[in-house]
Amino acid sequence: MVACTRCTRAWPLGTPECGRCGAKLVSRDEHSLQKVWALWVVGLMCYVPANVYPMLKTKQLFTVDESTIIGGAFELAHHGAFGIAAIILVASVVIPLGKFWAVAFLAVSVRQRGGFTSHRRLLMYEVVEYIGRWSMIDIFVVAILSALVQLKGLATISPGPAAFFFALSVIFTMLSAQAFDPRMIWDAQDNDNEAPDHG
Amino acid sequence: MVDTPPTVEIQAARKPRLSGASFIWVIPLLALFVAFGVAWQSYSARGPVIIVGFTDGSGIAAGETKLKYRDIEVGEVEEVSFSEGLAQVDVHIRLHKDIAEYVDASSVFWIVQPEVTAQGVSGLSTVLSGVYIEGSWDNEVGEYADTFKGSDVSPLIKPGESGLQIAFRTTTNGTLTDNAPIMFRGIQVGQVGRAQISRSGAFAITEGLIYEEHRHLISSSTRFWDTSGFSLSVGPTGAEIDFSSLATLIGGGITFDTFVSGGDSASDGEVFEVFSDKEQARNSLFTKSEVDPLRMSIIFDENISGLAVGAAVELSGFRIGSVESLSGIVDFNQFGDSRVRLNVIVSIQPSRLGLPGEATAAAALGLLRDRVTSGLRARLASASLLTGGLKIELVEVEGATADQMLISEVDLPIMPTTKSETSDAAATVEGVFTRINNLPIEELLNSAINVMNSAEVLMSNGDLQKVPGNVSTLLSDISGIVTSEDVKNIPVALNATLVRVEGLVAELEKQRIAETLGKTLSSAAEAADAVTSSAAGVPELIANIQTVAEKAASLEFDTLIQELTSLTSSAEALISSPETAQLPVALSGALDQLNATLKELREGGAVQNVNQTLASARNAADSIAVSARDLPQVIDRLNTLFVQAGQTIEGYNKGDQLSRAAESALRDIQQAAGALEKLARTIERNPNSLLLGR
Repeated sequence: MVACTRCTRAWPLGTPECGRCGAKLVSRDEHSLQKVWALWVVGLMCYVPANVYPMLKTKQLFTVDESTIIGGAFELAHHGAFGIAAIILVASVVIPLGKFWAVAFLAVSVRQRGGFTSHRRLLMYEVVEYIGRWSMIDIFVVAILSALVQLKGLATISPGPAAFFFALSVIFTMLSAQAFDPRMIWDAQDNDNEAPDHG
Repeated sequence: MVDTPPTVEIQAARKPRLSGASFIWVIPLLALFVAFGVAWQSYSARGPVIIVGFTDGSGIAAGETKLKYRDIEVGEVEEVSFSEGLAQVDVHIRLHKDIAEYVDASSVFWIVQPEVTAQGVSGLSTVLSGVYIEGSWDNEVGEYADTFKGSDVSPLIKPGESGLQIAFRTTTNGTLTDNAPIMFRGIQVGQVGRAQISRSGAFAITEGLIYEEHRHLISSSTRFWDTSGFSLSVGPTGAEIDFSSLATLIGGGITFDTFVSGGDSASDGEVFEVFSDKEQARNSLFTKSEVDPLRMSIIFDENISGLAVGAAVELSGFRIGSVESLSGIVDFNQFGDSRVRLNVIVSIQPSRLGLPGEATAAAALGLLRDRVTSGLRARLASASLLTGGLKIELVEVEGATADQMLISEVDLPIMPTTKSETSDAAATVEGVFTRINNLPIEELLNSAINVMNSAEVLMSNGDLQKVPGNVSTLLSDISGIVTSEDVKNIPVALNATLVRVEGLVAELEKQRIAETLGKTLSSAAEAADAVTSSAAGVPELIANIQTVAEKAASLEFDTLIQELTSLTSSAEALISSPETAQLPVALSGALDQLNATLKELREGGAVQNVNQTLASARNAADSIAVSARDLPQVIDRLNTLFVQAGQTIEGYNKGDQLSRAAESALRDIQQAAGALEKLARTIERNPNSLLLGR
């Protein structure tokens, strides 16, 4: 039996396409892990300039202030806005980094057994899938700010190049997480379970 | 033979190494490729870094401060650090690649910051935006350099700018102001840089720049002087305050002029002195001139105390040289006695004589020699009455004894002299003093004292002292009288009297003049003038009617003739009535009388006659009124007659001539009647017109 990954309808093994939604039916995507790693690498690559280049360009009368993500968060903390600084740090640094780590861990754990049980790994996968889109909150803030603060001459906020890379990074990590086939977690468990029987 | 086919080496088909690889790997490869591409591009587009050392890094911040060239950003400060030994601030500037090659060893850099000086405000934009570094270099690629020494102030002469670059040196008492403008005829033609004290400390020196377009104004004989502040001088020409403009008064400035012709055009690096005022600058031409001065000797017999070294030598009031030295001379052979004479050696500036051609000492001597034969002599004159200083004047003397300028090879030429001007002035002053001395001042004082004494005696007289007391009593008496009730009542009584008199007068006027005169005259006038015009119109009327009648009679229409005849006869009857006939006579009599009376009145006849005259006028008027009473009747009758006539004539429109004549007759009659009425109305409205003839 093979289940459609899109509409969850089960079909006999060997059926090429889902008769209901037309999705391609495969029991296991053999390139799944490769996709995960490829997209993961692109996401990581994009994450570097996202932190190096300025995220926001603030023009005030005569001064131009360019702040990177971490620089901006530290500046906010310096001014006493610890809450906002913490939110920015969590949303733009902790979560993306956590995602990189989590996806990498899952991909590795399919081949090599780690210290987590399969149930916990599935939970981790679901959390990563769910939380991934929230990283876009940073891009959202930048978009709103640069749309609102356009007082010609007095103060202007425009997005820096980091915003673009950050968005790319988030997109690629999300794609990477989606490319991961959670069934492989159970495959690994089955292997683990079968191994003692045979050996 | 069995042909065995050649053994074929069979190789296992090579399994492609990347067979298991997914297509998805293209994405990271692409990303890598793009990343490297961008990195390489940005690296290759980066310009070089130069290091500029400043003594003071005020306002310079890494990543913020820009480098500008002609006010356009061409680089950015990347790093600010100290040089070894903390001697200066090293500013690392990343240049834009496109201009990097022009930044060569000759480039200069300075920090632009807001500055408020007497010349104005500059760099105002940097107040808010922060300072920036301005660079300047020419448009040619020169020797490569990456370390520079920056300046805190903008350089006077920027690379790539042309102009005459000269240096200025102060004279003994001169001063220089940093960055002062060089003005010429009120226009800034250059600028002075930052002044420095020379090593010896004797003068200040600075570089100056004359802008390219004004380069030709400067020659080696140009003299500069300081125009800062103002100068106050009191001299024989009066007091003088001198300052060129308010800006230079505060901020300082120097100006120049080329007083003499000639001189080569100035070249870069030439050093000019800045004199403290124009006078010094002008005079400097004699002490430091390219042309050798003409030196000659003048020997004076007279006392020359007051003549000093440096005193002016003037020709026609124009300074041409100065006294160089003074010494005594005893020469028995030359003068025939052993008196000590004073020998003055003067130096004459040939270029001041306005010589045609080349101004040399020889040419000047030739000119002076010629002039001496025609009477030019040297004499002493007062330069200043206040100080008693002397000067030497070269003047043409009328009828001078024939004399020559003594020119010898070994000695200086000697200029003949004439009587000094100074003695005259001294004599005049002395005369004035003598006359003042001769004045009878003592006698004047004596008589003045006498006058004073007698005045004092008079003042101290007892009777005279009593006078004020008497006067005050008198005044109090007068004030008593004035304040008495009787005196106070005077105006009231006077007022009452006046009121009564006024009433009396008014009554008189009312009764005698207004009533009598007014009434009488109005009636008289009414009657008289109505009659005059009617009487004038009557003959005309009659004639007209007669012509009408005649013309009517000549017509063949019987009824018409009859009617017209009766009309005419009735008209004739009316006109021939004795009343009408008498009317003009009576009227004219009355008018004559009235006229006579009026004439008398107008001629200022006796007022007492007025009543009499008026009475007779009234009589006359009465009689006129009687006769005039019939007038309206006459007019009425005439009117009816004319109405009839008009009707008749209208009926005979065919007889054009007749009707036209009748019409004109009627019009005349109507006009006459109208005139009568008008006159009557006029007189009614304004009876005075008859009296005054207006």
